[in-house]
Amino acid sequence: MDNFLLAWIVLVPLLSSLILGTMYLYSIKVTKIPNIVFSMFALTAPFISFVLGVSFFFRLLENSDVIIYRAYKWLSVDGYDIDMGFMADQLSIFMVLFITFVGGLIHIYASGYMKDDDGYGKFFFYFNLFLASMLLLVLANSPIIMFIGWEGVGVCSYLLISYYYQDSENVKAGNKAFIANRVGDLGFIIAMITMFYYAGSNGFDYINLELGMANVPVEVLSFIGLALLIGAIGKSAQIPLFVWLPDAMAGPTPVSALIHAATMVTAGVYMVARFHFLYDMIPNVGLFIAYIGAFSALFAAIIATKQTDIKKILAYSTMSQLGYMFIAVGLGGYSAGIFHVFTHAFFKALLFMGAGAVIVALHHEQNIFKMGGMRRKTPLVYFTMLIATLAIAGIPPFAGFFSKDEILLTAFGSGEYFIWIIGVITAVLTAYYMFRLLFVVFHGSNYKENRELHSLSKNMTMPLVILAIGSILAGFIGVPLLLGGQNYIGIWLEILNSKALHVEHSIELYLMGLNILAAVIGLLIAYKKFFNYDMSKVPEYTGLIWNKFYIDEIYDRIFVDKLKKLSIFISYKLDINFIDKIVMGISNGFIRSGNVVARLQSANTRMYAFSMLMGISVISTYLIIVMR
Amino acid sequence: MADLLLSYIALAMILFSIGFLGIISRKNIFIVYMSIELMLNAVNLIFVALGRYNESMEPQVMAMIIIAIAAAEAAVFLSLIVVLYRNKKSLNSDIFNVLKQKDTANG
Amino acid sequence: MVDIIFLGLAIFAIGGGFGMILFSQPMHSAISLIVTLISLGGIFALLSAPFLFMVQIILYAGAIITLLLFIIMFLNIRDDELPDEPNKNITIIIGAILLIPFNILILKAFNTFPEKSMNILGKDFGSIHSFGMELFNKWLVPFELISMLLLASLVGAVVYARKDKNRDG
Repeated sequence: MDNFLLAWIVLVPLLSSLILGTMYLYSIKVTKIPNIVFSMFALTAPFISFVLGVSFFFRLLENSDVIIYRAYKWLSVDGYDIDMGFMADQLSIFMVLFITFVGGLIHIYASGYMKDDDGYGKFFFYFNLFLASMLLLVLANSPIIMFIGWEGVGVCSYLLISYYYQDSENVKAGNKAFIANRVGDLGFIIAMITMFYYAGSNGFDYINLELGMANVPVEVLSFIGLALLIGAIGKSAQIPLFVWLPDAMAGPTPVSALIHAATMVTAGVYMVARFHFLYDMIPNVGLFIAYIGAFSALFAAIIATKQTDIKKILAYSTMSQLGYMFIAVGLGGYSAGIFHVFTHAFFKALLFMGAGAVIVALHHEQNIFKMGGMRRKTPLVYFTMLIATLAIAGIPPFAGFFSKDEILLTAFGSGEYFIWIIGVITAVLTAYYMFRLLFVVFHGSNYKENRELHSLSKNMTMPLVILAIGSILAGFIGVPLLLGGQNYIGIWLEILNSKALHVEHSIELYLMGLNILAAVIGLLIAYKKFFNYDMSKVPEYTGLIWNKFYIDEIYDRIFVDKLKKLSIFISYKLDINFIDKIVMGISNGFIRSGNVVARLQSANTRMYAFSMLMGISVISTYLIIVMR
Repeated sequence: MADLLLSYIALAMILFSIGFLGIISRKNIFIVYMSIELMLNAVNLIFVALGRYNESMEPQVMAMIIIAIAAAEAAVFLSLIVVLYRNKKSLNSDIFNVLKQKDTANG
Repeated sequence: MVDIIFLGLAIFAIGGGFGMILFSQPMHSAISLIVTLISLGGIFALLSAPFLFMVQIILYAGAIITLLLFIIMFLNIRDDELPDEPNKNITIIIGAILLIPFNILILKAFNTFPEKSMNILGKDFGSIHSFGMELFNKWLVPFELISMLLLASLVGAVVYARKDKNRDG
């Protein structure tokens, strides 16, 4: 098999998105194209990428050498070349597999969810572009190429979050996501520049960077690590740049699923794992990452317990789960972190799709306290949501248990007990708020009985089933040795893991038990409070947690207001009175002088000849004087 | 006097200057044409004088070619004059100013 | 003797030139120009260019200026149709002053040439035979190109002077 197929993993969705975009323009300008044509392109693209990814996976299974394909020379500055290069190693192929698989399922789901939307083609144009950007980000062989994908993901998230642009609130949410991401991007750019300056002289791909990093002083490495971290925080919605994630729920539900499960937010975790060679050398920064992750996890979990919007709860849970991943990668447990990314992709996609199905069934109702009793109406959705909730809460043998257990084991084994405690508390909260959601939506009492339900198409339910199966099985690729399993994921990604954890088997067993206990405690509290919740009264939430700790307001006060004042000053004072005057003055001056000079064009030939004579005379006089 | 190069050059320069003065001072388009012919002749004189000075035949050939071009020019120029006179009923070169720059509206 | 002839021809040439730019009637100007051209022909003869002397008289004075005179008479311009030229003399004076540096410059440049006798050479130099040998050996292609140029100008003149059907109401 040839290496160039690596590029086609990215190119297929990209080309498909371009075709979709052209067709969409054609369909709005000329004649309408039926949705089936759009879905034909949109749904095959992730499938082809997935098949290609699988073929590379098997190739890596046989021979673990990194596969590199340099498509062409992209930049050449003064003899220093940057190739448009793709790299497939264990980490990136693993990412490609679940991105294309889960992403493909979300595509199928979206084809059902969006089927009545006018912008069907446009939506899938963005969707495929999103997937292509994410795949480019993952498969890049140098930070610069990764940055292209990184920015592409940012743009697509902006486009998709503000997809219902008729409502200005959605556009604001899109802007917020984009701007918060820009802050992170700045960190990434600074990191890249510093890396290039210190370690890029022999080439800028990861392999050469890894070699070059060896001679860089540790302070510089820490600086690079922190700057990269800002980028990762921005993309992965951790404290303090998480504000965009809850607002990103403004987009259609499949978009939320795609952003939260397969693409976008996992990019930050992936980046930290990709630069593992850097973070291995600076364990202090890694610890800092782990603390950010831990606090984000706890913080988001606390907020999630009091939310009423189904999608917002899921958004905060994503942030919380991402916190777990950051704990893992920060402490050097890269395989554990990526494992959680993997399992999380399944159950989070499932949760969002299930939530989307409920929302569609109830004619776009998002408040969980106005739902209730959906168990009877949509049993399939209930069943799959239950599996996903069990998985995210960490009840064995569902997927989330194994990965979460491994992360907490990493935290415990690294001796970071504080982080570990936060992790366990978060696990309790996770189980609590997820089962709260499940019970309120699907059980409850006194709900309105005879509601007209919107029917769900097969395209929407079929991916739910597949993902439910995935949520059950995904954890089994990483069963700890203790339970007589084989940690395949750890073996597959062992090149990443530099640290070996030494935890006694008995302690490991206790920890595992404790995790299950934590999940069950959360479950029981939720059961007691919400299983037979009286749906006729909608709770009135107030206070710190309901208002999300006033973080948005604080940011508004500190950053947004000041910037607005500055903008007003610049646009109404500085611009009009100063810059405009200069610019207009210059242009008016040119116009005036032009009019003056234009008068010389009198169309009087004799005048021209006379001017010529004057010129000849002056030049001759000058030459006579000079040649004396 | 007649065996000095400079006297021929001086004569040629005087004639050339007269031709130039004719161009800048006269409006009558015929006179402008004749002035051009005079300038061409002044240049011819310089050619021939230098040819004699260097005892070379080539400048004479050059002068011959200039005369031929002057003949071609005469044909075109005179037909142009006829057309212009027919259209404008005037020989004043100053009224042929259709290429004049109009003032732009905003100043 | 040659000096006197040269001087006479030069005075005629310059006088004719001034006459040309000063007369207000184009007819008078054209006749002044003929004087200048014939004088120049004589000077060509003094410079050992008998063939050019003939061409100057026959072609210039005989053909081109005659054509010019023909056109002037053809248009039959009355005195009141001639353009008003109130600033003519002052422009000539200013122009003449402005042209002085240019003339000085050129004359200074030629003054650096070494002095050399400009006597009339033997009969071979400038004769029709030697001129023809020069023209048809070294300058054959330009000569042929001149014929193309004349043809083009002929066509151009015909196109210009043709009656415009669209405008001629």
